[in-house]
Amino acid sequence: MHGVTRREWTKELLRKKREKERQEILDYRELSDEVLELKNKRVANKDSLLKTTQLLNINPEFNTIWNYRREIIKLLAPSLDQTFWDGELAFTMDKLKVRPKVYWIWNHRVWCLEHYPNSPLKIWLKELAIVGKLLEMDARNFHGWHYRRYIVSTVERLSGNCLNSQEFEYTTAKINQNISNFSAWFQRTNIIEHMLARDQIADKESFIDDEFQYIKNAMFTDAEDQSVWTYLIWFIKESALKEHMTSEKYSSMLKELTEIIELINDDDISFSGKDNIWCLKTLLVIEFIQKDILKEDIKSKSREYLDKLIIIDPLRKNRYLYQIRAL
Amino acid sequence: MLNAERRPSMAERRPSFFSPGPDGSLQSTSLVVPHLAGIEDPLPETTPEQVDVLIAGTGLIESILSASLAWQGSTVLHIDSNNYYGDTWATMTIDQLKNWTNQVNEDSDETRFYKDARLYVSGLVAQGKFKSKNFGIDLSPKILFAQSDLLSVLIKSRVHQYLEFQSLSNFHTFENDNFERLTNSKQEIFTDQTLPLMTKRNLMRFIKFVLEWEKSTDIWKPYAEQPLASFLVDKFKLEKPQVFELIFSIGMCRNLDTKTPEGLARIRRFLTSFDVYGPFPVLYSKYGGPGELSQGFCRSAAVAGATYKLNHKLVSYDPNSQTAVFEDGSRVRVTEKVVASPTQHPQNGGNIPPQKYEVHRLTCVVEKDCSQWFSEGESAAMVVFPPDSLKTGNVEAVQVVILGSGAEVCEPGTCVWYFSTTQAGPRGDLDLDAALEAMINSILRESSDIPNEDELVQINSNGVPLVNSVKLGQSFKELISKERVNFIMKLYYTQYTSTPPFDIVTPDLFDLNKSKEFIPGASDNGILYTSLPSGEVSYDEVITAAKFLYEKIVGSDDDFFDLDFENDEPDLKNTNKTINSYDESAIADDEEDIQMMDSEPVEFAGEMEI
Repeated sequence: MHGVTRREWTKELLRKKREKERQEILDYRELSDEVLELKNKRVANKDSLLKTTQLLNINPEFNTIWNYRREIIKLLAPSLDQTFWDGELAFTMDKLKVRPKVYWIWNHRVWCLEHYPNSPLKIWLKELAIVGKLLEMDARNFHGWHYRRYIVSTVERLSGNCLNSQEFEYTTAKINQNISNFSAWFQRTNIIEHMLARDQIADKESFIDDEFQYIKNAMFTDAEDQSVWTYLIWFIKESALKEHMTSEKYSSMLKELTEIIELINDDDISFSGKDNIWCLKTLLVIEFIQKDILKEDIKSKSREYLDKLIIIDPLRKNRYLYQIRAL
Repeated sequence: MLNAERRPSMAERRPSFFSPGPDGSLQSTSLVVPHLAGIEDPLPETTPEQVDVLIAGTGLIESILSASLAWQGSTVLHIDSNNYYGDTWATMTIDQLKNWTNQVNEDSDETRFYKDARLYVSGLVAQGKFKSKNFGIDLSPKILFAQSDLLSVLIKSRVHQYLEFQSLSNFHTFENDNFERLTNSKQEIFTDQTLPLMTKRNLMRFIKFVLEWEKSTDIWKPYAEQPLASFLVDKFKLEKPQVFELIFSIGMCRNLDTKTPEGLARIRRFLTSFDVYGPFPVLYSKYGGPGELSQGFCRSAAVAGATYKLNHKLVSYDPNSQTAVFEDGSRVRVTEKVVASPTQHPQNGGNIPPQKYEVHRLTCVVEKDCSQWFSEGESAAMVVFPPDSLKTGNVEAVQVVILGSGAEVCEPGTCVWYFSTTQAGPRGDLDLDAALEAMINSILRESSDIPNEDELVQINSNGVPLVNSVKLGQSFKELISKERVNFIMKLYYTQYTSTPPFDIVTPDLFDLNKSKEFIPGASDNGILYTSLPSGEVSYDEVITAAKFLYEKIVGSDDDFFDLDFENDEPDLKNTNKTINSYDESAIADDEEDIQMMDSEPVEFAGEMEI
């Protein structure tokens, strides 16, 4: 009785499983041929709709079938009531739960919301709550973030209320949970630009100070994280925020940043003997702003940074060589 | 029933086997906790005449061993000389503890397993304000890491289905007369407003390093023979509060001698357990710890055919005739091995492993709910007193596991505090007393009225209010409370064990039965002895210990809990054919099967990574 393993069992089970799956494949091919045939004949009735449901249940990535499904729904629309549309939303949600990264399901869901009878604000608000839940499960699903932006803009349009400050807080919460969430940082850039464009930031100076503190905090928490550096570069170079700073303030902020980044980089060198790629890249950006935008007369270290980068980041060697030539 | 004083068992806490369905007919509920002899079922009148393995003692290691052997196919007779399950790992009511204390103090055995048991029980229990059986006190309290071998076995064996687990996420280090809450996740480090920026950086760098520390030999090798503390200070520039948090709260090391590699392994144990089942590293079982787990494994063993008998004492074993004799005169032939917990050794045993190491324990139930120490929705916390944090100048850490009434081990409004230290000798008890005093002062300070709440709430740069618990502690340091803490019970005892205080678990810790030679006249020749619980606060040792014994009996641990419950699964009613309906558990894990699957790669479309 000793040493009896259940290997034989497993083999037998595997054989059964393969048999079962072989049948499933046959069924799938048969159904798929059938639905495509219906599509070619442009059959639009409850039966053909049901067939697309069955096929999409098995393979929700079949975009042709989603297209066909919409054609059927459009033709049947006059006879479809609210229950149908609720069912259709539930159907896409079911599919998204299994495959949250399939474009066609997201696409179909948006289409449903738009074609929902009267498309009331209520369903969009509900949708905002749903996408919140979804981002709780996977905070870095870019489909979810993209979808959220779309829902927010529709809610804003239908309600006439601006959700910027609420959405700004939302990105803070998501970044606090995980500072590597680039989607959340990116959302933050969008919202800040919106808020500036609509003049929704009352005290710009303290807003900028707070944001700068927030970034510093993130840089020290994780200097290897690309999201933080990308956001920092946006903050000092790309965003409209800099237009709301006096050149003295802008200049002193850059100086402070240079000191911090040098501190972090020195610390990295003392720990691992290597420069931090992101520190050097950001220093380059800062120097560019100081010289080309603020026209400050500073001693350039760009060449030194680029020489180091060529060694520690050889994959981008030619880019750095190009930058050296452009100096 | 055998033991009228006992608490409701895990089977009795569940809804009954049959419950009325919607149409009034009886339907079986989805999960049934199998019944166990001596609890829901009567004890068997007779025991088998011949078994493969006889196990004496129903402690956790023996119970895991019993279940693993029973499922492997061996016939097992599992007995206990006590009238309860769990042996030295048991969960007890206050009345049971009274009996236990008396037994310990009457014990005149040469080899002692416990000594100096001192139990105080409040008059409120006798008066009926508190009921003895509303308390479930563990003799050896343990916490379960979310990423651990025991948890895998609990799942594989399905014993987890009999139990209920709760999370523990609050860890405090006692420092400068204050409890500092642990900062251990990236989020907490990022949002903590009190940590200096450079400290954040160093801490984060260390946490990233430690998750894969073995790979970065260049970083830690030079420190391999040095204590972890000097590595953290020299290499990662960490300061004392962080070093102590890492070594004592996260690593749960006992003293500052822990070497770098061992310490790193212990810190990683905590961090990799984080976020496995949620934002917490540790779990504990409701209604009682190791006692409940032991019972769970016994139920599993019984399902696989093991026979259980309590109040059954092994008197002797003769390895030549392979016959074990019991106190009631019955006997059994054992074809493979007799395993016994040292506490259940036959009289005149000559092979009992020396129990060289001491664990000092103090368990008390206080009339305070201590909810301020728990995270929201939780009812447990851990407090560590690192070396030299107590007025005794303690050398070894004192670890405290705190369980509130939500853990169903005590009445509402009360809380169980489990103190332990591996400090040997009279100093051990002094350290425990000092830790108790510090805990009492702290709970009184924190539960007093807060005079000015505004000062304690800071608003951080993002407008998020932040309650500063450190400040909270400090502001009441001077406050002398009018209140007192009432004890419902208080129990001091010293436990002996053959397992040294270890930093990481290795099988040789459990190699207790080295002598091959029989001692003439001894009643226990040929018996394989198990080990008593060690001073380690986690369950880390139990699977290694059980596997070690399993290998000694079976010859190899290859099929230790190699279970396939697939056929027990009720068929899914869902007849819709979806890609996801195939049974994932059918995916086999041995090489040959993987090769078979490799030949048909297309079929696994449903496995696509999300």
